[in-house]
Amino acid sequence: MTSQTHDKVVIVGGGPAGTAAAAELACHGLKSVIIDEAPKLGGVIYRGPLRKTDSLPHLDDNLKRAMTALQTRYQAHRESIEVKTQTRVLGPEGSNQLLLSDDSGLSRQPYGHLILATGCHERSVPFPGWQLPGVMLLGGVQLQLKSGLVRPGQRMALVGTGPLLPLVACQLHKAGVDVVGVYEASPFAKLAKEAVALLNKPKLTLSGMSMMSYLKKHKIPFKYGWGIVSAQGEEQLSSIHVAPYDSQWRPQRDLAEQVAVDAIGVGYGFVARTQLAMLLGLEHTYSKVSGYVPALDEWHQSQNHSAFVVGDSNGLLGADAAICEGQLAALRLAWQCGKITESELFSRATKVNNKLARIKKFRFGFDRFSDRQPGLLSLAQPQTVVCRCEQVRKEQLDEAIAQGVKDITSLKMRTRIGMGDCQGKTCSSYALDYLHQAGLTENIGVIKPRFPLDPIPFTLME
Amino acid sequence: MKKYDVVIAGGGAVGAACAYFLSRDTDLKIALIDLKKPGNASRASAGGLWAIGESVGLGCGVIFFKTLSKLHSEAQGKEVPVMRPHQLPDCFFEFALTSNNMYPALHQEMLEKHDVDFKFERTGLKFIMYNEEDRLYAEQITQGIPHLADQVRWLDAEQLKKEEPYVTDDAIGAIDFICDHQVNPYRLVDAYLEGARQNGVSLYLNTEVTSVIRNGNVVEGVKTSDEVFFCDTLINASGAWANELYQQATGRTMPVYPVKGQIVLSERMPKIMNGCISTSDCYIAQKDNGEILIGSSTEEKGFDTTNSLDKIQELSQGAMKCLPILKESSIKRCWAGLRPGTPDELPILGPVEGVEGYLNACGHFRTGILTSAITGQLMTELIMGKTPSLDLTPFSVERFEEAEQKAG
Ligand SMILES: Cc1cc2nc3c(=O)[nH]c(=O)nc-3n(C[C@H](O)[C@H](O)[C@H](O)COP(=O)(O)OP(=O)(O)OC[C@H]3O[C@@H](n4cnc5c(N)ncnc54)[C@H](O)[C@@H]3O)c2cc1C
Repeated sequence: MTSQTHDKVVIVGGGPAGTAAAAELACHGLKSVIIDEAPKLGGVIYRGPLRKTDSLPHLDDNLKRAMTALQTRYQAHRESIEVKTQTRVLGPEGSNQLLLSDDSGLSRQPYGHLILATGCHERSVPFPGWQLPGVMLLGGVQLQLKSGLVRPGQRMALVGTGPLLPLVACQLHKAGVDVVGVYEASPFAKLAKEAVALLNKPKLTLSGMSMMSYLKKHKIPFKYGWGIVSAQGEEQLSSIHVAPYDSQWRPQRDLAEQVAVDAIGVGYGFVARTQLAMLLGLEHTYSKVSGYVPALDEWHQSQNHSAFVVGDSNGLLGADAAICEGQLAALRLAWQCGKITESELFSRATKVNNKLARIKKFRFGFDRFSDRQPGLLSLAQPQTVVCRCEQVRKEQLDEAIAQGVKDITSLKMRTRIGMGDCQGKTCSSYALDYLHQAGLTENIGVIKPRFPLDPIPFTLME
Repeated sequence: MKKYDVVIAGGGAVGAACAYFLSRDTDLKIALIDLKKPGNASRASAGGLWAIGESVGLGCGVIFFKTLSKLHSEAQGKEVPVMRPHQLPDCFFEFALTSNNMYPALHQEMLEKHDVDFKFERTGLKFIMYNEEDRLYAEQITQGIPHLADQVRWLDAEQLKKEEPYVTDDAIGAIDFICDHQVNPYRLVDAYLEGARQNGVSLYLNTEVTSVIRNGNVVEGVKTSDEVFFCDTLINASGAWANELYQQATGRTMPVYPVKGQIVLSERMPKIMNGCISTSDCYIAQKDNGEILIGSSTEEKGFDTTNSLDKIQELSQGAMKCLPILKESSIKRCWAGLRPGTPDELPILGPVEGVEGYLNACGHFRTGILTSAITGQLMTELIMGKTPSLDLTPFSVERFEEAEQKAG
């Protein structure tokens, strides 16, 4: 009994990467357990509504197809895949177990092999007013629409960069929201330069173009080279200032325009969600796009600890790439467990890798287009809170750096940045970028996650 | 190549205190080199300045003693560990109390001269008694320290209720050590470092001492991965890692080893404690920002710094028993640090016979935050060629060599 559970592959995260890995493992006779904190499989992108509904008016057909595909993948192999939803991983327990919490309390999950597919979280960008109710991150806006089936606001604007902007704008409009403007930080000329890269995925590019024409048809302004400056409101957001950005994404404040809104979505990028990987002791390296990401071999396996990390949690490439990575890891594991031969491994993997290469070319085009520029860091004013949990203001970072702080741990000790309940998920990417901008790039370290990854009631310890 | 009068290896509470006092009281050219290794004790510490409490085996001492007795009763034959002292010798009391007395003025000095606040709070340390056994234990403790009677207050159940209303009704009373207080430990280290920096010390943080340069019996400096630092005196303040540098500097070994301590921290709570608390299960301190800190296990597991459910459960249960209101709160985070332990629980301080240009400042075990100040002062006196204000003989490394010779 116990030895059987030990043989199981434990997959943390039931999004496209985790589910694809489980399905691929099942194809080769390997059983797995998927653990996810959400009530449904699918991850933030394909989870869909949390209540039952027949019509999904604001979701486009591509998304519906992809959601069905994920469900089909799982259903076809459900005998081999145990799913633990509404279950959180609090951290490692001993050398081969995870500590879990769910409604019924704490439990341990032993593992023989581990695949982490924990996705990403949003990069928060502090600017004056960013804490006002009504200011949301773009993923949060989408979640309300897709999973909560509620409109996040009546009159909304979107600010940020990347392909999610037009997509969410269309979804909002279809859901009946008055979208008063979409502001893409990068200039159009830069997008044009990436045309070749974008043609690596003609279908996606076309769908992007059709979204742009949808916006045009419905007279929704889409401004390239513009972005957020500040948000205003008493108890609740009532307006924002947006302005043209220069090439460094510094706002030209004298050209700022005020726009009346009751909600906005802010999307200047994502950060790989690597807290568990770090707690497990996997080595990490810094990447400008995704933050700290685990150091992995070409099969997505880490040298130390030999865990696999797939999907956005090892760098942001989107759902299609996540599926490929999940499959690659599963194939490698199947080979390591003696379920497939080396030639089977390589012939299957070559196909997946070719697909992945095309996606990457396309994606890297977008990454270059959406490459965050340092001006974004200057949006926060001296009094702007940059760490919400501990109410740390930007001027406190400046003071600490002026006093000689050169690494993030010292910055944390001096200002309490990153010491709140979220353990730095919200503020650490800003703090890292800020240190980099101050010319500090060597050995600046990372805000180390602590056990437990989410607070747990004392009563669970009784 | 760099040349300093003094190089300090290790920037925890002890190394940082040495840098501060040396730079305050001398004109020497000083460098401090530190790489925060996972498990750095000062950062993990609870920040208790429990001079009497820890000396008589309360605070962490009580848990340490419990762990030892358990090991002792479970072990067989050759594995039976030597029982270590419960109440520390007089020389340690003097060492700890002298250091303790330095904090009020040091706090003022840091605020006024260097604009840093390490959050010194006058709290007292209360040992909570649940039953007659606890009372007997408390009596035995106070009998052992007659000269400190004016620092001990006995509280009956009613008085305790008045001073600590959230402590369980099951408590029958407490003894309070009125001179035992608390600081914020990482602010303390930060204050020493900032003070030292302002006094002209060169700080090489995020830098590892990779080896010691020795010429015969003279220590001449250290190497880091890309630089060489020559110096007249090397102070080894590298905490649980101190034996590594000691070996390179002297060719011998000394018994400094990591003793892991896990800590549980609550979410912020409104002020529910007026002082620090010790029970026979754990110690509990509310920090200035409202978080409640519960410590601490004592485990000899090498350089392992992972958390484990069993210890976290034990600590949490002990704390909930004492402060039932904790059941309304959550555990925000846990961590583990490595105390630099020694077999007799005393630090290892001062020069080494037959070796020049080298000083030990390590082995501070569970009281290095408390005793950092006096250590900094003593090292400064040694380097200035003064007679140290406390007798260092009981703290010299030779005590272990003598013990070994006797045993051999
Ligand atoms: C959980 C816990 C709770 C505690 N509570 C208290 C308390 O309430 N009160 C109290 O007084 N004490 C307490 N202590 C004990 C106290 O923390 C230690 O005694 C004290 O921190 C020791 O200080 P240190 O400077 O010697 O060691 P450390 O703080 O460990 O510092 C040593 C430093 O040297 C660095 N280093 C090591 N080798 C090298 C190298 N080769 N090159 C560069 N750098 C190096 C290390 O990374 C580290 O930064 C507690 C300890 C723990 C673990």
